[in-house]
Formats: sequence, C-alpha cells, structure tokens
Amino acid sequence: MNPFRLAVIVLLLSLLPACTSKSPAADGKPDLSGIWEMKKDRPCPKDGCPDGEISYQFLDIGAGLPGGLPYQPWAKELVKQRTAQNGKDDPASRCMPDGLVKLHTNPFRRKIIQTPGLLVILFERDATYRQIYTDGRPLPTEVDLPSFNGYSTGNWDGDTLVVQSIGFKQGDTEKDGEWLDRNGSPLTSAAKITERFHRVDHGNLEVTLTVDDPKAYTAPWTIKLNQVLVTDSPDLIDYNCTENEQDAAHVASK
Amino acid sequence: MTLRLLRNFVLSFGLLLLMAFPFLAHHSFAAEYDASKPVTLKGVIAKVEWTNPHIRFYVDVKSPGGSTTRWEFSGPSVNTLARNGAKKESLKIGETVTVDGFLARNVKNLANMKTVKSVDGKILLDRIGDQQ
Repeated sequence: MNPFRLAVIVLLLSLLPACTSKSPAADGKPDLSGIWEMKKDRPCPKDGCPDGEISYQFLDIGAGLPGGLPYQPWAKELVKQRTAQNGKDDPASRCMPDGLVKLHTNPFRRKIIQTPGLLVILFERDATYRQIYTDGRPLPTEVDLPSFNGYSTGNWDGDTLVVQSIGFKQGDTEKDGEWLDRNGSPLTSAAKITERFHRVDHGNLEVTLTVDDPKAYTAPWTIKLNQVLVTDSPDLIDYNCTENEQDAAHVASK
Repeated sequence: MTLRLLRNFVLSFGLLLLMAFPFLAHHSFAAEYDASKPVTLKGVIAKVEWTNPHIRFYVDVKSPGGSTTRWEFSGPSVNTLARNGAKKESLKIGETVTVDGFLARNVKNLANMKTVKSVDGKILLDRIGDQQ
C-alpha cells in the first residue's frame, strides 16, 4: 500500500474514538451535556405527520411492555375512559406543564448542562427546566411544595447517573395528577421516580425510568427512553404553549 | 412459544393501531379534527399567525354565488416547521392558494392543513414526514 495512503488511514482510525466515545466531564464522570431529543420511532401516517414525528411512548408510556402497564383497577378504568375520549382532557391541551415523564417523551428538544454538584435540563416545551442536585444531599422523605417535575437528587453509579425524584403535584384526588402519556396513564403524589441516565455512546443517551407509584400501579414498572444527540443546531427554540392556544375550546371526545 | 407469538401479535397490532392515527404534540388530533373528512379549498390568504403551539392562517374563500367565507387553518408548531426549513414568508398575505386539509369535528370553517399550494401547483407548505 502507498505509505501516504496508509498514513491517512492510520490518522483517520486514530480520530475515530474521539467521534464515538463519551468525553468525560471535569470531575471524570461521563458528561451528559448536549442537546437531546427523544428517538422518534413512530412512522408518519400516509398523510404525513401533522406536527412532526414522535415516539410510541409519547402516546403510550407502556408501549413495548408485555401486558402493558400494571394499572390499579381505578387507573385502568380511567385510562380506558380517557382513551375512548381521544385524550381530550389531556392537561397539555390546556397548556398545563408536561411533568417529568412527558418532558422525556415530547417531541421538543432539551439541553442538559452538567456542572459539579448540579445537573440542569432546559426544555423547549414552555421554556421550562429541571434541576437535579448531585452535591451529595439526600433525597428528602417529603417535600413542602410539590411540583410538576418533582424534587430530584442524583448519584453516580459507575458511569450511570441515578436520579431519584419525589414530590409530584396532584389535584384533589388521585385522578387529578399528571398524565404520563396521551392515553392518560396517571401519576399520583405518592410516586417515586428513578431515572438512570447512561450515555451509551457519543450520540445516544439511554434513560431507564422506573415509576413506583403504588396508588396508581400494582407494581413498580421500568421502561427505556432512548434519547439521541442533536447535532444540526446548537440552539433551543422556545415553545410557549400559551402564545396562541385556541384548541382547548374545540376538543371533543367524538 | 405460542404464547410468545400471541403476545408479539397483540403488541404489533397495538403498535399498528397507534401508527394509524395522526397526532399533535399539544393536543389529540382526533379530539379536534376528523381524518376521514378531507377538504380542499381555494382562496386568498388574509392573515398569518406564525405562532406556537400551532401556526394558524386564514383564507378568504369565494363561493360560486359570490359570497366570501373566511376559513381558519391550523398547522404544525413553529419549532417543527423551523427545523424542516419552512419560513413565515412561505405564506404571503394576498396570495391565492389551494389548501388541502382535514375538517374540524365541531367547529365550522376550521381545518387542519395538509398541504398549501400556489396557483401554479408549487408546494408552499407541507406536513412533515413520509408521504406516500
């Protein structure tokens, strides 16, 4: 082989690890920073997607789970009813916050900023945020002010960031909590959510999510949410749902 | 084995069902529009709102009798459009266009757009994704 060509091949091969590996953060931990979006695995219908592509899990967070989600009887009945009504009462229709789980599955982008002691996630959807404390503080047993995204602490388990969250907002009854998907799978204020963030390679972030909510589900359940690194733009674009919301008054079950 | 086959069939069937329906990020498509009621209208663009959660534009449509009706069309989010190269300038006030879309279930003169074409048939704005 031509020595020059050989030298070029060796050089390119030496660059390969930089393109595919995960660069560590300053503290030696894997760096999760970057703009990510949910892997969109649902093909568009034949008329095209009215509003872009999504993942199946946006519609059904239990998609792919054999037997589906282990709903408590009341939750099963509620989801059946909500699905039959075309999900018309989805709080998102009224521009209510998505909450922790739907912030993973919605089709908009998110930016992870990893700093020592704190991981921040900025979301395009309603220009909202999550703050995950990685400074060693313990997860509280309860929080004074519940919120849509909960209170989150994280600890590294090898190269995986394990985030635990509690303190989710709920209305007067268990039926008045967040929707985890368009089908209306409920979340109650009793829930504890565990997310395991693992950057599989440079372009892929796997989030293994466990919902432990004994009021709504008969057993904890675990799913994988695949996020892909976005490289076509360094920018988030604000998506403010209330800017020109006119649909809530039009939605109907049939 | 048989159980596994059955399970896979049920899962695949469920996914096919999910695939069959259009969706909107902000709210359920089926709760507002009827995918079985396509509509095609020709008229003049009167107003454009390049906004989230959906862009909206208004088209004055003349009936054969001479009266004019203003139709409202809803489309994708600004974010989705921006990332697929569409710009607000795609829709010009005063331009005559033909819009394909799907009628709203419960509101008159409202539809979800599928394609906007100029009089010479050029596509000005389109839904996203594989169209067969």
